[in-house]
Amino acid sequence: MNDLLPNLVALVLLAAITAYSTAGGADFGAGIWDLLAGNGGRGPEARRLIDHAMAPVWEVNNVWLVFAIVLCWTGFPPLFYATFDRLYPLFALALIGLVLRGAFFAFRHIADNPRTHRTADLVFGLSSVLTPFFFAASLGAIASGRVASGSVLEASFSPMSISFGLVSVAATAFTGASFLVGDARRYGAPELVDYFRQRTAAAALVLIVIGTVALVVIGFQAPALFRSMLAGPGLPFAVTTMVLTPLVAFLLWRGIFRWYRVLTVAAVGSLVLAWGFGQAPYLLPGRLTIAQATAPESTQVALLAVTFVLVIVVVPSMALLYYLDQRGALGPTEA
Amino acid sequence: MAATLWLAGESALLPSRIQMAFTLATHVLLVPLGVALPSLTLLMEGIGLARKDPVALKIARRWSVVMAVQFAVGAVTGTILSFEFGLLWPRMMARFGAAMGIGFAVEGLAFFLEAIFIGIYLYGWERLQPRTHFLLGLALPPAGLLGTVSVLAANSFMNTPGGVKLISGQVTDVDVMAALFTRSLGYEFWHFLIAIYMTTGFIVASIYAVAWLRERRDHYQRLAFAVPFTVAAALTPVQLVIGDLSARALVADQPAKFAAMEITWTTRDHNPEVVGGLIDGSGVIHFGLSIPSLDSLLVGYSAGTVVPGLTSVAADARPSIVEANITHLAFDAMVGFGTAGALLAAWYFWVLVRRRHLPDSVWFYRLAALAGVGCYAAVEAGWVTTEVGRQPWIVYGLMRVADAVTGAPDSFVWTMLLTLVTVYALIAYFFIYLLVRLAARWKREDSLGTFAPEEGAPYGPRPGKFGRVGS
Repeated sequence: MNDLLPNLVALVLLAAITAYSTAGGADFGAGIWDLLAGNGGRGPEARRLIDHAMAPVWEVNNVWLVFAIVLCWTGFPPLFYATFDRLYPLFALALIGLVLRGAFFAFRHIADNPRTHRTADLVFGLSSVLTPFFFAASLGAIASGRVASGSVLEASFSPMSISFGLVSVAATAFTGASFLVGDARRYGAPELVDYFRQRTAAAALVLIVIGTVALVVIGFQAPALFRSMLAGPGLPFAVTTMVLTPLVAFLLWRGIFRWYRVLTVAAVGSLVLAWGFGQAPYLLPGRLTIAQATAPESTQVALLAVTFVLVIVVVPSMALLYYLDQRGALGPTEA
Repeated sequence: MAATLWLAGESALLPSRIQMAFTLATHVLLVPLGVALPSLTLLMEGIGLARKDPVALKIARRWSVVMAVQFAVGAVTGTILSFEFGLLWPRMMARFGAAMGIGFAVEGLAFFLEAIFIGIYLYGWERLQPRTHFLLGLALPPAGLLGTVSVLAANSFMNTPGGVKLISGQVTDVDVMAALFTRSLGYEFWHFLIAIYMTTGFIVASIYAVAWLRERRDHYQRLAFAVPFTVAAALTPVQLVIGDLSARALVADQPAKFAAMEITWTTRDHNPEVVGGLIDGSGVIHFGLSIPSLDSLLVGYSAGTVVPGLTSVAADARPSIVEANITHLAFDAMVGFGTAGALLAAWYFWVLVRRRHLPDSVWFYRLAALAGVGCYAAVEAGWVTTEVGRQPWIVYGLMRVADAVTGAPDSFVWTMLLTLVTVYALIAYFFIYLLVRLAARWKREDSLGTFAPEEGAPYGPRPGKFGRVGS
């Protein structure tokens, strides 16, 4: 049997998860900083920047998530069934976080009363922490190789799932802060540039610490994945993460504003890829390989065709949106 | 082991069905404006550009703000729906995902395009030349169309599955085209597409009908009323024809559903058309108005036409009595609302053609103000007809709802349902509050002569300077 097609579809699935982790991560990360900003010092100012920076992109990011889930149930139905059959508590919690986040992001724009405004901020911030945590926890539960063993709760809340969740919270905080440096620079707010570059560096340190702990947990809980991440196909990506994360921290610490956003995306993206390639060819470690879970060939071809069109059409239109966002108003309305 | 699993599945069935019904019923309210409002907005912008009418451009720009807010809410409720396939019906996707999932993949693509181009459209008002802005906006209706056809492809697969090769219940091969374009897609697509354009036209027009009743009768109000109302009214007769075609196609495609819609007990000729009324477990019809032979006449244009009855299908493979009654009443409600819409449309065109101006009767505007809500009710009723009428099947003839449901305990699903109901109530409140506030702000703008329709909306272009933000 030809494994090329299913492998390509699995690669697209991994790419969608990576895209959601990085693009969505910047978004969730901004929400985390919103939560941590507090009301004293530069807090309110930082929060205004966050609001300002997030408005245009947040709904586009959900599409990566939907696309990943569709790829999963269409391309690998047994994987979809096995994960949702066992990890439904994690998905339900992530989903509720997602909805609360969307609702309260809108609400805090319209809340007039300062007290309701603070409540809206709080719900928005907390759901920004919980959503990436639970999504990543589901990946950790999958990576542990114990999706099918023990009770549903044991499968969902294991050392692996919790450490993946914590890594993702640190990674989103890191991505969010790094992008907010860019936004602060663009809007000419030097105090906030300093504010967020310090936070980027701090988040990078936290990410390194938590990442190391998570690696130890992987070493104990999923030795095969551990070997593959450090001495197999996952290695190049693991190394990339380990080099780039401190590099971004260093650049921003020294106030060198070059390439830091690209490098941030590369660092966090590689983190996801290190797991994905480390786990290949297994979708569920030890239980289900890509070849075993694959849908019929015609379905795989259709999925790849849709992906091809998506890349051809979506990339340029996204570039246009980004360009319009970066560019000011035309003509006489320009202030 | 197997028995306990089955029991657990059985107990989560009720909350799972309620949750799916609740979240879908909510989402279907957001779909019409999401898909069709861009077209109306573009039409208005086109009028504005062609006639150099700043009022039309102002209307279009305000509608585009509503479009974005509404799309954001729809994106959230739609994301929930996609997760529910795993949270509530994982066994359906385990078996049929490889076939019906392809429609959803195409929908993912469409969703992407809509999200991006709505952004471009919103940003473009002040950042692009008017012509370029309009031309880029033209990407929106086809993206909405693509999304609609692909989601309906998945739904029609559930109604008239095709394109799959099954060996002992497992899908072993998929003919992609045949799985996407199943028999019912043709009529489901046109029926739904026209329904959402009608609904959008009527609901938008109803807002300006209320404005007319409140004595606002200027160029702004006339334009904003006439354009959407004309579109909706012109589609109404088309919908009656398509609806009729759809219902008659069901006689062959899903006889049990058709029998439930008409509460026909035994297969027979000279079948009466029962308007309203309920059927009981022994096939006796109570209440309602029975018109002799009309159902047979409508199906085959002759009173001798034989139409299927509920008993033509085994009792465990057709809707229960309660489900049949729900299907029937929903169907009647839909037809009733559709017919009322057609009469209102006839009134409108009569006045327009005979007197060459818009109607000026208070009663016309009162009815027009209700037409939008009526359309929403018709969409809900139509959706209930097709979903409840398919029971007990989730994929018609191939998989029962009870066999598709999650193995999660019912307490889990009840908790999730309760949480979602609470959050949806909050979202609905925020959404309506936001729209009311935007409307008030625009009204103020009109009296002050300023213009910044996006201000105060949570999504959309950010002002050029960071300092201007904040409330």
